[in-house]
Amino acid sequence: MANNPSPAKVDLIASAVKGFSHPIWAARADRLQSASGVLLGLFIIMHLHFESSILLGKETFYRVVQLLEGGMFNSTGHGYPIVTKVFSVFILLVVITHAVVALRRFPAQIGQWHALRGHLKGIRHKDTHAWFWQLITGFILFFLVPVHLFTMILNPEIGPNLSAERVYLDNVWVLYALLLPAVVVHALIGLYRVAIKWGLVSQRKVLRQVVKVLIVYLLCLGIASLVAYILIGTELTIPVQPFSPH
Amino acid sequence: MTQGRTLTFNIFRYDPQEANDKPKMVQYQIAETPGMTVFIALNKLREEQDTSLQFDFVCRAGICGSCAMVINGFPTLACRTLTAKYPKGEITLMPLPGFELIGDLSVNTGKFMRELAERLQLWLHPKSDDIDVHRLEDPMDPEEAARLYELERCVECGVCVSACATKQMRDTFVGAVGMMKIARFEMDSRDGRTAEDFYHVIGNQDGVFGCMTLLGCQDNCPKDLPHMQQIAYLRRKMAMTLV
Repeated sequence: MANNPSPAKVDLIASAVKGFSHPIWAARADRLQSASGVLLGLFIIMHLHFESSILLGKETFYRVVQLLEGGMFNSTGHGYPIVTKVFSVFILLVVITHAVVALRRFPAQIGQWHALRGHLKGIRHKDTHAWFWQLITGFILFFLVPVHLFTMILNPEIGPNLSAERVYLDNVWVLYALLLPAVVVHALIGLYRVAIKWGLVSQRKVLRQVVKVLIVYLLCLGIASLVAYILIGTELTIPVQPFSPH
Repeated sequence: MTQGRTLTFNIFRYDPQEANDKPKMVQYQIAETPGMTVFIALNKLREEQDTSLQFDFVCRAGICGSCAMVINGFPTLACRTLTAKYPKGEITLMPLPGFELIGDLSVNTGKFMRELAERLQLWLHPKSDDIDVHRLEDPMDPEEAARLYELERCVECGVCVSACATKQMRDTFVGAVGMMKIARFEMDSRDGRTAEDFYHVIGNQDGVFGCMTLLGCQDNCPKDLPHMQQIAYLRRKMAMTLV
C-alpha cells in the first residue's frame, strides 16, 4: 500500500522503539521526559512573567532585562547579552532532550494514527482529548521553538525598543502569536500530567481547575504583552534607538 | 419518575460469521420501565423485537464483567447503567474496541484475559520451600488481606483496555488490568517472585514506562479500582530500582 512506510523505515522505527524498551532505558527515558518537561514548563511560566513586565512600562522591562543579563556585575549597570545566548543554548539542549524522549510517544505508524483517531471519535474521555492537544501542540512546537531559540542565540537584542522592533517592524509577532497558545497549552497540560503520573498530587479535580485557570491567565498575560510591544512598535522611528532610562 | 418514556436505542450490528454481512447501526424503540438498566432493555429487545441480537451477560449484578460495552461513548457495564441516566432517552451501544468481535455487542474478552495471564504469569508462584500441600498456610495479616482484596475486585470486564488510547495504539502494551494484577501478586507475601522478576515483565515500554497516564482506566473502571495510584506506585518503585 502507498501509505505504508518502506521496510527499511519500519526497521528503523522498530529499533528505535526497541532501544527504549530495554528496562533501564525505558525507565530513564520516562524520567528524563518528565524532568525536562517540568524544567521547561516552569521556565515558560517565568519567561511569560518577565516579558510581561513591559505592561508596567518601558523602564520596568528595561530594568528586568538588565537584572537577568547580570547587570549587577557590571559597574555601568548594563547586562551582558552573552548571558541570554548561553542560557538559550542550554534551553535548546533541554528542548532537544525532551523532544527525543517524547517522540517515542508519537504515533509513528499510520495504523497507530488511525487507532488514535478512531478511539478519540468513539470514546468520550477528557484527559485523552487533552493528550491529543498536547500531541498536536508538541508537533507545532517541534518546528517553532528552534526558530525562536536560534534568534535568541544569534541576535539576542532585548529591550523595550529593540524587542518592539523585532515584534512589529520585523513581523515576528506572527511567530509569537503561534507560539503562545501552543506553548501554554502544551506546558500546562504537561505539568498536570507529570503531577498525577508520578503520584505527586491525588486531588485531580482541584488540579484540573488550577490548570484551566492558569491557561487562561497565561494566555491573557501573553496576549497583553504582545499587544503592548506592537503598540510600542507602531511609535518607533527608523533607525530604532535602544531605550535608555532617564 | 421516568416511566412512560420511549427509549431509542442505536445498536451496532455485525456478524463476522456471515459472509455478506456489513457493520451497521440499527435503531430500536422500547418503553421504559422503572429501574430499567441497559442490560434489562437489551434482554427485552431480544425477547420482543429481534432474537438475533448478540450480547453477553451472566450475573446482571456487576460481578461477572461480561456485559461491558460502550454506552454513549463511555465504556462500562450495561447491568450497572440505568436508562434514567439519559434525559434525552437516546442510547447508542457499541461493542468494546480492542477485542475480537464475536458479533454485535459481544466481544471475546476471555481470550484476551487468558493470553495476558499467560504472558504475565498472573497466578500465585509459591515460595520454593512452600510446596507441601499438607502444611497449614501461615496466617495473613488482615491489613495485607484487605489490600489484596481491594485489587482482587477486578472482574476482567475489559473496560480499562477499551478506554486506553495507549493500548489501542500499541498492541503489546499490558494495560491497566495487567498492571493491577501484577501489583496484586507483588503485594502478596506468599508469592515467591522478587521485585526483579516483576520488573522484567512490566518495567519497560510495554508496561509502566509505556503508560502515558491518559487515565481512561481510572475514569471508566466500573469497580472503581485505584488504577491511577497503583500505576504511579509501580512506576516510582521501578524508576527507583532501575537507576
